[in-house]
Amino acid sequence: MSFVEFHRVSKTFGKTVAVEELNFAVEQGEFFSLLGPSGCGKTTTLRMLAGFLTPTTGRIKVHGRDITDLPPEARGIGIVFQNYAIFPHMNVYDNIAFGLIERGEKKAEIRRKVGEALEQVGLAGYESRFERELSGGQKQRVALARVLVVEPEILLLDEPLSALDKKMREEMKYWIKDIQKSVGISTIYVTHDQSEALTMSDRIAVMNAGRMLQIGTPVEIYENPVSRFIAEFIGDSNLLAGRILSMDGTACQIDLGGNAVVPSRIPSNAKVAVGDSIGLLLRPEVLRLTPSDEGETPYLSGEVIDEIYQGSLRRYRVRAGIHEVTAEIPNRPELARLEPGDKVDLYWNSESGAVVP
Amino acid sequence: MTTNRTGFPVRHYSSYRRQMKWLLVSPLLVFFLIFFVIPVGLLFASSFNPQIIGQVGFTSELTLDNYTRFFSRSNYMAAAGRSVLLAGVVSLITLIIAYPMAFVIAKTEHPGRNTFLLIIVLAAMQLDMVIRLYGMMVILGDNGLINQALRLVGLIQAETSVRLMYNFGGVVAGLVQFALPFMILTLVGVIRGIDPSLEEAARSLGAKRWRAFVRVILPASMPGILAGSLLVFALSISSYIVPALMGGFRVGVLPIHIFQQVAESARFQFGASIAFILFLLSAGAVLVYLHVGSRRSGGLA
Repeated sequence: MSFVEFHRVSKTFGKTVAVEELNFAVEQGEFFSLLGPSGCGKTTTLRMLAGFLTPTTGRIKVHGRDITDLPPEARGIGIVFQNYAIFPHMNVYDNIAFGLIERGEKKAEIRRKVGEALEQVGLAGYESRFERELSGGQKQRVALARVLVVEPEILLLDEPLSALDKKMREEMKYWIKDIQKSVGISTIYVTHDQSEALTMSDRIAVMNAGRMLQIGTPVEIYENPVSRFIAEFIGDSNLLAGRILSMDGTACQIDLGGNAVVPSRIPSNAKVAVGDSIGLLLRPEVLRLTPSDEGETPYLSGEVIDEIYQGSLRRYRVRAGIHEVTAEIPNRPELARLEPGDKVDLYWNSESGAVVP
Repeated sequence: MTTNRTGFPVRHYSSYRRQMKWLLVSPLLVFFLIFFVIPVGLLFASSFNPQIIGQVGFTSELTLDNYTRFFSRSNYMAAAGRSVLLAGVVSLITLIIAYPMAFVIAKTEHPGRNTFLLIIVLAAMQLDMVIRLYGMMVILGDNGLINQALRLVGLIQAETSVRLMYNFGGVVAGLVQFALPFMILTLVGVIRGIDPSLEEAARSLGAKRWRAFVRVILPASMPGILAGSLLVFALSISSYIVPALMGGFRVGVLPIHIFQQVAESARFQFGASIAFILFLLSAGAVLVYLHVGSRRSGGLA
């Protein structure tokens, strides 16, 4: 039995289907992300778990207990909103004490717990500040402290970083993950930012158009995407159209057209057969570029279209027959610098390519 | 103002902007000056002239006699108290009736239904006050619908009636009816501006629906409650037509006294002094509200 379970949960608004047939489980202590473009149903899913929306069909269970019809206040689930929802008429102390007061705790106990919570989020001394006197990052800390202080079983985070500037976002990413780990609370994190999901999550569920497309660890999602949508949504990708010529266990040969036949790996979760039209996923960082005529038979050869200098690496766009691929080459002096128009050969480790159905 | 080499004055952008602003508000300023500041100023000034029946204009002869008269007569002091009490009671009752309606309108997202509800609220304002008050008399009068119904079912004897108007309660009813749309519109704007995630945050922190309302929604609507009450207070304390028609001149509030002094006795100077006192009472209420508001809502008002 898993900690949080969704059983065939669907939600419709009038004729619009927000989410359809959601089946997934979150384990105790896990950091689980719902990742997808806006309108994919990830926030609807979160709001159903929090109790702000009732599923049209299906059941939601926590600890094996059916909570589908419980009001939000009876669920023991804490939520941090995108805009933090700090109570504007209360100072930081009263905001954090809110849930403890609702639980009828004693004054001295509240004082001690609020103090500890402020310590935990690094805001000791901010007790008497009001929302308008706090920065974005501080509001976020207050929102998190306010939730954690009541010790909920599950923590929900609804795009909590999207209102922050880039530098703050990077900082808070690690901070949230650290807090989550030290408290050990089961966390469900909603985001449209794949880099946040990859960095923070134990597992990620990729959603699109109300459906859950794939659930897996960041490595699985990034390296073995089960659909082209996921391959293109997560990270940068080259997705080359091809056809499977032969298969041998997890290895296969792929016809990329124009006499190019390359080896690849078939992820265990990919259901494909010989003769299928598939996409060959090559991440820009797995490609190796060398000037042509160095003896070895290349997988693909082509011509450099342009170079984009990015400091730590250089990005080349290369036209290879009917395909256009992007390669990221580490910016190291021993790797030859290429110019637009140069003829180049492309190599990669056959294990680092993946067949996408 | 500096000049450049050709001798033409150079205007700085900021000073240009400042002049532009004055230009934009000048129609209002002119209107305000001619139709409010000057007449009201003259009226207040004349309250310091000796009382001469029939004399309207301001003279250079100054005295405090009118004010001494006001504060030495208990019936005027009682009228001032009655005015404040009336405006306070009306504000409170209007708030209690208006808040639920405003809440429903603010939470109605369907555009058609929303428009419909607002039309209901505004419909009352489409008719002139006097017409609306005569409408209320048809219901509340001694031979009005309510009294007829009571006689019909035998709760009161024939030829007798229950006093529903020409008293304090009647004036309150008339003023509440008059003030409701102002209060509702003020509240709708504020309640609609409250972030819905505040209530959700309160709920998920363990607050039941009504606790979330009392601890979060109600305090967050405080700016609207204060603004609406203030508006209704000012409208009620200065209303003449409602006490006149619904009170039948039997509820002696300050505007009634002003009317009697000016229109019936041509005592312009004394009427002016009552008017000035009424103005001070209303302005005092504003100060009290602002003070309370800045404390209660953490400076949000």
